[in-house]
Amino acid sequence: MAPATASREPAAVPALGPERPVVWPPRAEATLDNGLKVVLVTSHTIPKFTAQLLFRSGNAVAAREASGLAEITATVVRTGTNSRASRQIEEDLRRMGADLSTGAGADSSAISFAGLAEFSASLFELVADLARNASFPAEEFERERRQRLEELRIERVTPGFLAGERLRKVLFGAHPYALVAPTEAEVEGYRREQLVAFYGEHYRPGNALLIAVGDFSPAEFLQQIEKAFRDWPAGKPGQTELPAPPEVRGRRVHLVHLAGSVQAQVLVGNRAITRHHPDWLRLGLANSILGGAFNSRLVMNIREQKGYSYSPRSAVHALRQHGYLSIHAAVRHEVAAATLAEIFYEMDRMRALPVGEEELADARNYLSGVFSLGLGTQDGLAGQLATAYLNELPKDYLETYRDNIRALTPEDVLAASRRYFDSANAQIVVVGERKDLAEQAALFGDLEVYDALGNRT
Amino acid sequence: MPKLQIPIESTTLGNGLRVVISPDRAAPIVTVGVYYNIGFRLEPRGRSGFAHLFEHMMFQGSENAGKMVHIKLVNASGGVLNGSTHYDVTNYFQAVPSNALERVLWLEADRMRALKVDGENLRNQRDVVKEEVRVNVLNQPYGGFPWLDLPPVAYRNWPNAHNFYGDFQDLDAATLDDVREFFKTYYAPLNAVLLVLGDTRPEEVFALAERYFADIPSNSLPPRADVSELPQTEERRGEVEEKFGTLPALAIGYHAPERRTADWYAAAMLDQALHGGRVGRIYRRLALEKQVAVDTEGGIHYPLGDAFDYNGPIQMVTRILHKPEFTAGQTLAEFDQVIGEIQEKGIGDEELKQVRVKFRSDYYSQLEGGHGGYIPRFGLMHWLACFTLFDREPQLVNSILDGFLEVTPARVQAAAQKYLVARNRAIVFRRPVAKGAA
Repeated sequence: MAPATASREPAAVPALGPERPVVWPPRAEATLDNGLKVVLVTSHTIPKFTAQLLFRSGNAVAAREASGLAEITATVVRTGTNSRASRQIEEDLRRMGADLSTGAGADSSAISFAGLAEFSASLFELVADLARNASFPAEEFERERRQRLEELRIERVTPGFLAGERLRKVLFGAHPYALVAPTEAEVEGYRREQLVAFYGEHYRPGNALLIAVGDFSPAEFLQQIEKAFRDWPAGKPGQTELPAPPEVRGRRVHLVHLAGSVQAQVLVGNRAITRHHPDWLRLGLANSILGGAFNSRLVMNIREQKGYSYSPRSAVHALRQHGYLSIHAAVRHEVAAATLAEIFYEMDRMRALPVGEEELADARNYLSGVFSLGLGTQDGLAGQLATAYLNELPKDYLETYRDNIRALTPEDVLAASRRYFDSANAQIVVVGERKDLAEQAALFGDLEVYDALGNRT
Repeated sequence: MPKLQIPIESTTLGNGLRVVISPDRAAPIVTVGVYYNIGFRLEPRGRSGFAHLFEHMMFQGSENAGKMVHIKLVNASGGVLNGSTHYDVTNYFQAVPSNALERVLWLEADRMRALKVDGENLRNQRDVVKEEVRVNVLNQPYGGFPWLDLPPVAYRNWPNAHNFYGDFQDLDAATLDDVREFFKTYYAPLNAVLLVLGDTRPEEVFALAERYFADIPSNSLPPRADVSELPQTEERRGEVEEKFGTLPALAIGYHAPERRTADWYAAAMLDQALHGGRVGRIYRRLALEKQVAVDTEGGIHYPLGDAFDYNGPIQMVTRILHKPEFTAGQTLAEFDQVIGEIQEKGIGDEELKQVRVKFRSDYYSQLEGGHGGYIPRFGLMHWLACFTLFDREPQLVNSILDGFLEVTPARVQAAAQKYLVARNRAIVFRRPVAKGAA
């Protein structure tokens, strides 16, 4: 019998209370005469603001010139302008209590910055200086190139990196999305003029988007932005045609040998879709049920029942022109085949059986609830705005996302699963000790073996 | 500079559970945390890694919410959750739409009242934790460097000096009785604080806390173990093999001044001057100017925490990956130049002014996000918890910044001269055995 003191506690789970409406803050939008698009949203969580100056050009459009060119360009952008040396830039940032980072992915380049709202005008001036007047000092370029080489050598012994790199190569072939990182020889071959040329062509206001979220008045911020950016001469880059990726047919296994491994990095993937595809939300919901959440089938099976892995998950990745999905788990070598068997079991279960109403309702709630957590921080909100604007999603994307998710049915999930969890044509990557893995891996398809540099062996 | 005025209300229930609330109704979301005043420093001897393994067990089921139910209910309410184990606290936290507040409090109360796990759960999570250690440490370049490498060199007292992630034989030795004993000893209301931040009213939270937590029985706590260290008299050095990475690395840790002493405020500004990103003195000299290092990072309680979230000996740590053409000795000599310079010449007014502004700005960002930002107000929750458990003063969140902003150049220089000396430090060299990918 329970002690009397415990009797007040109900054993039943309390029901959810009435939901308070999720209201997305209004956005102020403007386009400067030179074509720079500006999006401003207030959020008074802290006396700061966070912003991103985004360019719609990344490593993909520059791949023919040099692999990773957008990335090295972004890295060197922060190291000097016509009027500020590297040390000056860094001290100016600290004086404003600001953080700034520059980087590039496959489809975009970014100068991301955040600082105290009281210093916003100076910070916009500094960012405009980087965007317009970067000087690419030769010694800074040389130093950053050498840093990149050393980083590459570490990436080449990092299991998660090696798995992701191999999967992208397999799924995208001749398309530049296949290139996750340059080779050492490619980095050795970078020339400063290539960076200057990429910067000159792509860091242009007609190619850019400035998003700011924080503790400010939009009218005042817009004035500061006008002042800092209005003299930036108009311009935008031309279109670049990219080769089509291959049709990937037939399940194959790609084993990357990493000497000394004590764990196998397992990664399974298929090509999928962009955010513009009508199936995007359906696939997102199916992914959430398969392995996108802690409370998902893959985690329940591989982690909580079998104990094979700490953090098995699935994910959908949208790039501008194409997309892909992946399922990953880091497991001890001896259960690599067992893990693959469970991954394919769960993929096929998604394809074979409609999801039950309760599981579906839970997943819909999860996606719509987590989406609204983005309202809680300036960075969260800025990230969502960047996704929506950079991908040119519908105007009301943020406002309608939750309702759109909640309208999805078991048939939607089943249809998306059948289309995209294509187990017969899935590509399997395993990174680890060849001698411990080759036999297990070969059970799942024709086996190709690579070394960590990407050479077939 | 405007004073911080974060609304904070707190109370203590009859069983000793502290409740701290910070309402903000701007968005319909709420962050709920429960912090227990026990971390890996005080786990039982012969059971290295146990505090963290136990953290996993807290997700394995309680009296009215079986295995995975807590996770399922939080996700199904539209929220995210996790837990983490630190030197001196273990936390459990979730961010959810505010209509799930009562449900989350019920779940947290259920596992504080009556953890219910079996041998199968323990075997399962032991396997999961081993894969976690492999993926984060044993199968990663520079895994565990330096957070697992420095303590055994820097400290002599077992609570500070052991393997916090756990030796596998110790994980294997853990029993269900150990789990029950640890729960009974440390997971008591008297040893915990409940935090609710965001879209709620204090009266509502107090009432719900009373309803779900007040009748959880409390037992007395054991006397706190002695975690102090004998004074160090000479520099300590150690070596660790790097299995995957190609770059040699070293980490230097200096014992930091005691929390909330005058020296501690000065040391935090010194830390910002030395480790504050690309403009910090160490990165600037070693990576940018002399180009000896490929990367440097560091800080007080780096890389696990910050200057606030510990309650015992801690170090100011610098981690350096350097180019193979420089010896570890040459790299250390460059580092020592940086230290020597600030000891001899101190810090100028302009530099300290910049450091103060950056420190304040970083402090705000931590309050809002921290921890990757996916849990809104994670940092506010974390510091409120530490100030409550260690200092019994949650309002410190609003006032502690003042002490840092009053630090003078002379005090920064004095702190450098007093603490950044060889006999107060430990150095670990991580030496690559491999020649890189081939």
